[in-house]
Amino acid sequence: MNRFSAIDASKLPSYAFSHCVPIWWGIIGLIVVEATVFASLVISFFYLQTNFPTWPPDGTQPPELLKPTLATLVLLASAIPMYWADSSIKEGKTFPLKVGPLISIALALAFLIMKVIEYRDIGFRWDTHAYGSVVWAIVGFHSAHVLALILKTSVVTTLAWQNYFNSKRRIGVTVNGLYWYFVVIIWIPLYMTIYWASHLLQS
Amino acid sequence: MTEHERTQVIDSSEETRLLTEVWRSPPGFFGWFTHVNQTSIGKRFIITGFVFFVLGGLLAALMRIQLSAPENNFLPPDLYNQIFTMHGITMMFLFAVPIMEGFAIYIVPLMLGTRDMSFPRLNAFGYYVYLIAGVAMYLALFLGMAPAVGWFAYPPLADARYSPGMGVDFYATVITFMEISALAAAVELIATIFKQRAPGMSLNRMPLFVWAVLVMSFMIVFAMPPLMVGSVMLALDRTVGTHFFIPGAGDPLLWQHLFWFFGHPEVYIILIPALGMISDILTTFTQRPVFGYTALVLSLVAIGFIGFGLWVHHMYTTGMPHLASNFFTAASSMVAIPSGVQIFCWLATLWGTRPRFATPLLYVLGFFFIFVIGGLSGVMVASVPFDTQVHDTYFLVAHFHYVLIGGAVFPLFGGLYYWYPKLTGRLMNETLGKVSFWLTFIGFNLTFFPMHYLGLQGMPRRVYTYLEPLGWGDINLFVSLSAGLLALGFLSSFINIFWSLKRGEPAGDNPWHADSLEWGTSSPPPAYNFRHIPVVIERHPLWEYQEGQDIPVVTGIRSDRRELLVTSLLDAHPQYRAVMPGPSVWPLLLAVAVGIGFGGFMFHNIFPVVGFVLSFIALAGWFWPRELTREVREESS
Repeated sequence: MNRFSAIDASKLPSYAFSHCVPIWWGIIGLIVVEATVFASLVISFFYLQTNFPTWPPDGTQPPELLKPTLATLVLLASAIPMYWADSSIKEGKTFPLKVGPLISIALALAFLIMKVIEYRDIGFRWDTHAYGSVVWAIVGFHSAHVLALILKTSVVTTLAWQNYFNSKRRIGVTVNGLYWYFVVIIWIPLYMTIYWASHLLQS
Repeated sequence: MTEHERTQVIDSSEETRLLTEVWRSPPGFFGWFTHVNQTSIGKRFIITGFVFFVLGGLLAALMRIQLSAPENNFLPPDLYNQIFTMHGITMMFLFAVPIMEGFAIYIVPLMLGTRDMSFPRLNAFGYYVYLIAGVAMYLALFLGMAPAVGWFAYPPLADARYSPGMGVDFYATVITFMEISALAAAVELIATIFKQRAPGMSLNRMPLFVWAVLVMSFMIVFAMPPLMVGSVMLALDRTVGTHFFIPGAGDPLLWQHLFWFFGHPEVYIILIPALGMISDILTTFTQRPVFGYTALVLSLVAIGFIGFGLWVHHMYTTGMPHLASNFFTAASSMVAIPSGVQIFCWLATLWGTRPRFATPLLYVLGFFFIFVIGGLSGVMVASVPFDTQVHDTYFLVAHFHYVLIGGAVFPLFGGLYYWYPKLTGRLMNETLGKVSFWLTFIGFNLTFFPMHYLGLQGMPRRVYTYLEPLGWGDINLFVSLSAGLLALGFLSSFINIFWSLKRGEPAGDNPWHADSLEWGTSSPPPAYNFRHIPVVIERHPLWEYQEGQDIPVVTGIRSDRRELLVTSLLDAHPQYRAVMPGPSVWPLLLAVAVGIGFGGFMFHNIFPVVGFVLSFIALAGWFWPRELTREVREESS
């Protein structure tokens, strides 16, 4: 059987952006998976609560609100330089990509240090009661994500300093940014659960 | 387009040689660990899946020997518990899901007319994770420390207090680890189906198997994470003293919710790809377009959604509020509607045709019979009073084997006979195939149908023996003998697989005169799948092309590097040429690193940290662009 050329692909580009690229869908898939994990943890938090007359259980104070709120703001702020880098590379500006992620990493590290200080003397452990178990699980799991984010972004930044990215080749920056926004945004419901729900449910 | 405008495509042998060279997987023992091509990985999933099927079947045979007589001493109680637990784990986690994914990984890119999956290395990684998990589970069994708590591992039985030893630790960590493989495959199947269809294959022209795999993948994405959360919690309860499922301190029922929120969709994760196989096999063997394509697609999607609303019917006897029971009774009965739509569409497809009764079609017809019985007993146990009566009896064992073996294994064997020529280039022996079908079909019904009766008589499941005066001995002996017949049926199929490998009739490209694109390339397909990417203008591309007619294809995809065509999500318009990664050892290293993190957790808390660091190193090595300077140079020139 004879074949004829209906489409000449050599005229098509060899790069693409955002949702045209399979890896964009791959990251979205990863984000959906992880969001489901976090949702399961939050649901477990409220499910376990129904077994207790008070929540947090007797003898445990609900966590204070001021410092965690500050830490949350720091984490939210870390997304801004990332967005700056992400949108600049679209126009071919490479400098923001060399600096922005470094600022983001610094802010994320600050968030992690604040969490370490907070949970060092929080007053309950994971084996104290079910409340402790689920709170430590949520915070621990999210902190592991922040850590992974820092490591991942440091690789992207190293490549940026080697001038690997440009206005055409930037899908790596896009998906790294997407994942960064996700880890930052998913913290908001977790923060509401651990801090605000603990307060509201006790009163 | 008029005739004279067409540019004839001439296959230059130089270009074919380049393609072969570029897409080739490295040979040799060490080369084996670097393969990333989807045909290679898919075949590994399928073969490994069948190995675990045989192992799981052997465990079932041991159980049937033990149960063939009352108060039998063939297996001690603890070993029996380990064996029935491993049978469940093997069939659900190590056989059914991976083998469906294996068929999807092998067949779907061919059906889509593309050269590889979106993330070939992730694909390879998923396989190694699966292999490591499976080997670890069986290592535990041979060391005599397999879990003995059922594949569902309910606390408090699965707690450190009631299940000391390493068994449940193996279970919890291996299950969590194993899910990574399923999730990776699901995400990349979604990306591949969305972005790599041949130009012109809009969503409404996708073969039904591709639709089914898409629905299955979405279900995996939402069903597996809760199980991962649950099994991590179980591991933490056992190792660092958390209170998630400890009675009084936490809640054992939370485990049941997390487990069955995964566990029920799991059944559909296995069933749905099988439904896709059935639709495509019916299309081929009736040689007519399937009846009600849109209705079939919608009912696949509907089953996918409803599948998430049924999990509580596994928990009717745990003391749920009445309203919840009512809701889940309604939802459980509702799933019969889209399932019925499927069955009626298939019957309408068969109506008035003279189908070719080859082995794949026989297995599909066997499915009809068995699955309808399983569906009927399903409607029965969906109602609370009936379920309360037969809960934890052999009625349930009968029901879910009818649904799972009937719903998934029969279509799977149909699919095996159907696609075997594509995988190997040879047809399976038809006579032996028919013999194997009848042995399997009769053996299956004789084994599992009497279990309905045993269940109604009150014989409890998961118990290693029963007492003489209960009078169940004769039927159990009959069941055990019939199980031998069933095993013979499967055995003859496996003999057929090996026999046909060398001596089967050469198949040619399209032995069944099928309609979908996987039959449009040679059998077995070359490493690059298609010499030219086809252009699709209709739902049944291969039936469109008459002898002697010109076939539209894509040209201009580079042959000197791994390149494939990426198209738009809805209409499959060509968008760009993507460069694909080649063979790599990093997926294996990452799988080992992650395995150290998960497996080591059973022994010491430091291992997850070690695994985390090693994984980071492996990932950095994986993603680091090796040809940094060359790529930059190429672009600036």
